[in-house]
Amino acid sequence: MNIAVWGDELAAWVAAAELARTGNQVMLQAREPEESSLRAEPGLMDAIEQGLTSGAIQQATRHQACQADIHWLAMHPSELIQAKTLCTEIGLHTQEELLIINQSNFGIGASDQLQGCLQNTALQAVVCLPDTLQQGQALDQFANPAALLIGCEQDDIRARLQALLRPFSTHLQQLHWMSRREAEFSKFAISGMLALRLNYINELANLADRLGVDIEVVRQGMATDKRIGPHYLAPGCGFGGSHFTQYIEGLADILAETRHSTLLKTVLEENERQKELPFRKLWQHYQCDLDGKTVTLWGCAFKPGATSVDNAPALPVIKALQAQGVRIQLHDPEALAALMDAIPDCRNLHFCPDRYSALENSDALLIMTEWAEYASPDYSRMKTLMQHPVIIDGRNLLEPTYLRELGFTYYGVGR
Amino acid sequence: MDKQTAWTLLQQAAETEKKRHLKELLQDPQRFHDFSFRQDELLLDLSRQRITASTLNALLQLAESCQLRHWIDALFKGDAINHTEQRPALHTALRQPKGTPFTLQDQDINADVQQALERMEQLVEQLHQQQWRGFSGEPINTLVNIGVGGSDLGPMMVCHALEELQPQAGRAIKIHFISSMDGSQLSSLLQHLDPARTLFVVSSKSFSTADTLANAATARDWLQQASDMPEQLLLKRHFIGITANPQKAREWGLPDANQLHFWDWVGGRYSLWSTIGFAIAVRLGMPGFQALLDGAWRMDEHFRTSDWSHNLPVLLALTEIWNINFLDIHAHAILPYDGRLAHLPAYLEQLEMESNGKSVDREGLSVTHHTCPVLWGEIGPNAQHAFYQLLHQGSESVMCDFIVAAKRYGGAGESLQAQHRLTLANCLAQARVLALGDNALDQSQASAWQRYQGNQPSSLILLDELTPGALGALIALYEHKVFVQSVIWNINPFDQWGVELGKQMANTLLPHVGAPVKPGTFDSATEGVLDALNQLTGGNTAS
Repeated sequence: MNIAVWGDELAAWVAAAELARTGNQVMLQAREPEESSLRAEPGLMDAIEQGLTSGAIQQATRHQACQADIHWLAMHPSELIQAKTLCTEIGLHTQEELLIINQSNFGIGASDQLQGCLQNTALQAVVCLPDTLQQGQALDQFANPAALLIGCEQDDIRARLQALLRPFSTHLQQLHWMSRREAEFSKFAISGMLALRLNYINELANLADRLGVDIEVVRQGMATDKRIGPHYLAPGCGFGGSHFTQYIEGLADILAETRHSTLLKTVLEENERQKELPFRKLWQHYQCDLDGKTVTLWGCAFKPGATSVDNAPALPVIKALQAQGVRIQLHDPEALAALMDAIPDCRNLHFCPDRYSALENSDALLIMTEWAEYASPDYSRMKTLMQHPVIIDGRNLLEPTYLRELGFTYYGVGR
Repeated sequence: MDKQTAWTLLQQAAETEKKRHLKELLQDPQRFHDFSFRQDELLLDLSRQRITASTLNALLQLAESCQLRHWIDALFKGDAINHTEQRPALHTALRQPKGTPFTLQDQDINADVQQALERMEQLVEQLHQQQWRGFSGEPINTLVNIGVGGSDLGPMMVCHALEELQPQAGRAIKIHFISSMDGSQLSSLLQHLDPARTLFVVSSKSFSTADTLANAATARDWLQQASDMPEQLLLKRHFIGITANPQKAREWGLPDANQLHFWDWVGGRYSLWSTIGFAIAVRLGMPGFQALLDGAWRMDEHFRTSDWSHNLPVLLALTEIWNINFLDIHAHAILPYDGRLAHLPAYLEQLEMESNGKSVDREGLSVTHHTCPVLWGEIGPNAQHAFYQLLHQGSESVMCDFIVAAKRYGGAGESLQAQHRLTLANCLAQARVLALGDNALDQSQASAWQRYQGNQPSSLILLDELTPGALGALIALYEHKVFVQSVIWNINPFDQWGVELGKQMANTLLPHVGAPVKPGTFDSATEGVLDALNQLTGGNTAS
C-alpha cells in the first residue's frame, strides 16, 4: 500500500520503519528524526536506513505525500492545528477513498475534529489507533502487539485497516473496535492508571522509610492479591521518558480544566519531587552541607535500555548537586551523549567511561537507573575506591542487608 | 527675602484666599494646563488645590528663604543632615546606577551598594531556581519576612502592589509578612506552613528590635520542634538576617553567609531600596527590583536638577505647606483608587508622620507653627463607603491625595476593563465633588442635609501604569516631598526620638506584668491595671 507518514514523533518513525519492512511504500518528509533521543531508539535508524536504501521509504514533498491513499499521523501534541490543515489539504486532493490513521496525542475528541476536515465522509475515514510504544523497545512492540484498541466509526473501512495491520497480528490476542473518542480516552485512562500506581507505591515507600518497614516485602505481599497484581509497583526515584509523561500531562490538563480535579497534577508534582529523593537522602546524610563533596551517579538514562534522558530523574539531581558545589562523576553505559546535550552547563560534571573510575574518591554513590551491569558490582573494589562508602540506591537494585554487612551505609527507597 | 517676611506675605495672601472657593478657581479654562505637571510616567495634578499663580510664587520665595537649594544639595552630597544622630540620609545613593562612584568618608558606597545587590541577586536566583534547600533537602517555597516598621511596611506595600508582575520563577515562592509583637499573625500562619520549605527573613536595622526578635525566636522554636535538627543547621538553612548591625545578627546565631547588609546611613522608613527589599526582589526578580530603583533614581534626578517651577516634589510639598500652615488644614487622606496600592496609606503614614511628626526645630527650639498633619487612608472606593461622609459634609477641612493608574487590565477581559473605567470615573467624581460641592451637579432642590460645601483641596497623581518604575518614582516623590516640608519647618525628618521612651518604659514594666507591684512604683492608673491583670491571670503571665 502507498502510505504517507506525518510527524517527527517516535511513533511516526517506528511506523515508517515497520510499514516499509512489511512491503508498503512509505513516504516521509525527512530522512531522520530531529531528536537525538529518537535516533537512539535501538534498531530504528538501521531500519530507516534500510528502507531508504531499498526504496521502500522515500523522502517526498508535502504535495507528493498528500496524494497517498493512506496517511499515518504521529505528530507532536501541540500540532493539532497543523494536523487539521493537513487533513483538509489531503481531502482536497481526492474525492475517492482515504484512510487516515491518527496516532498523535492531541487529546480526546481530536480524531473527530480531523474527520470533520474531510469532505467525503462516506469514503474518507479517520481512525484512531492509540500508540502503546515504550521507548527502548518500540520496534518490537509495534511489530508484535498483544492487543490493539481501534477507534473506527466507518465499518466499510475495517477490512482495509485489518489488511494493513495483518503483518503485525501474529501475537495479537485482543482486538477492540470502539469509537474514536473511546479509543483516545482508553489510552489516556491506561497511562493515568499506571502513573497512579507508581505514585502510590512511591508514597508508601516514603512512608515505609519513616516506619522502618521494607517496602519490597510489602509490595510482594500486595502483588499476591489478584485484583492488584505485580505490575507498575516498583518504588523508585520517579518515572521519566517523554512519551508516558506527555500522556499524563495531557490527561492532567483535561481533568483540571473540565473537572477542576488535581488528582493527576498531584501525581506529576509528586513524581517530580520523587526524582530528587536520592539528593534529599544524600543531603540529610551529610547534615545539609554538600559543598566540596564528590558524588558518583550511576545511570542517567530515564530507564535501562534507553539512551534518552528525557525527564530522567538524573537531570534534577544533577542540577541540585551542581547548585550545592558538588563534584559529580557520572557513568552511564549508553545515555552520556544525550545527557551532554540535555545539560548545557557542564560545571563540575565529569563523564566517566568506566563505572569504577566514576567512584574514585567519591563521598557517595547514587544509583539513578537500574542498568543490569550495576546490579552486582565488585563491592570490595568499590570500597577501596570510595572516600566514604555511602550508597543511595534510587532503584532498589541492591541488597541492603548484605551491603550493610560489608560496611556500606545504604539507603534505598522505602527500605 | 528672609523666612519671616516670606511667611508673613503668605499669611496675608491667605486672608483673601481663605475666602475663595475652588469653584471660582476652576472656572479658569487654563487651570489644568497651569497646575498640572508631568515627570516621565507620573502626572501631578494640583489644579484642585486652593492655590493661584501668585500663591505659588510666594511659596517658592518661602522655599528659597529656607535655603531649600542648600538642603537638597546637602541631602544628595551625604552631609550629616540627620544631626541628632550625626549621620547622612543617603537613600538616594541606594538608587544610583552602577558605575557612578559615591565617596562617603573615603569609602565608595556605590561599590558597596552594588555588591549588596549582587549578593541579593545570588540569593534570589537560588530561590527562583528552587535550589535553596531546607533541612530535608526540599527546595524552599515560602518566604516569611519578619520585621516591623520600615522593615515591614515598604517591602509589603511594594510586594502587594506589583504582585501581578511577578515572573514565572517568582510564583514558586509564596511570601508572607509578619510584624505584630503579640505573635498572633505568626501563630496562625505557621499552622499552614511546611517547616521543611520555609525560609525566614529577619529584617531589623539594629537587630535588636524586640517585636522582630520575639517573632524570630518563635519561628526558630517551631522549626526545631518540627525537624529535631541542631539549631545551628536550622539557622543556616532557614534564616536570613537583613541588618546594618552584623555583630548583633551573629550573636543571635546567624553566620555571615546568611546575612544581607545595609548601612547606618539608610533610615528604616527609607530602606526598601536596600537589601531590606529582599522580599520585593524575590517577588519581582532582580530586573523588576532594578526597575523600581531606576524609577526612584529618575525622580531623584528630577528633584535634584529641575527648576522648582515644575519640580514635582517641591510643588507638592509647598502646596501642602500652604494648606497646613496658611489654610489651617490638619488632616490628610491618602486615597489610592487601585486595590494593589492597599498598603500605600500605611506606608505613607509612617513615612510622613515618623519623619515630620515633630515640634522641636533643628536648633532645639519649639516650633511656632503646625508641622505634619494627621495622615490616614484607605483604598478610595472602599473609603467612599466609610469615611467620605466626613470629607463631604464634616466640620473638618481635609486635604486628599487621589492616586490612580491610567492603564490597567490591558490583556484582560472586557468586564475587568469596565471595572477599571468605573474606578476611574469614581476617582474623578470624588475629586470634583470635594472641590465644587453642590456646584458639581445641580442641587438647587436639595434640603439642608443634602448640601455639600465643597472647597476640600486635593492632589491627583496619575500613573501611566502601575509598573515598578512608576511605583519607584511615586515613592521617591513622597520621600522628597516630606524632605522639602522638613526644610520649610526647619526640623530633622530623619530621626524618630519620639518612639524611644515607650520602648524603655515597656522594658521597665515587663517584670511587673503578672507579678505583685509595690504601691508607688508607677502611677495609680498603671498600678491599678497591673493589679487587675495579676488577679485575672493569677500571676501566670510572668512565666
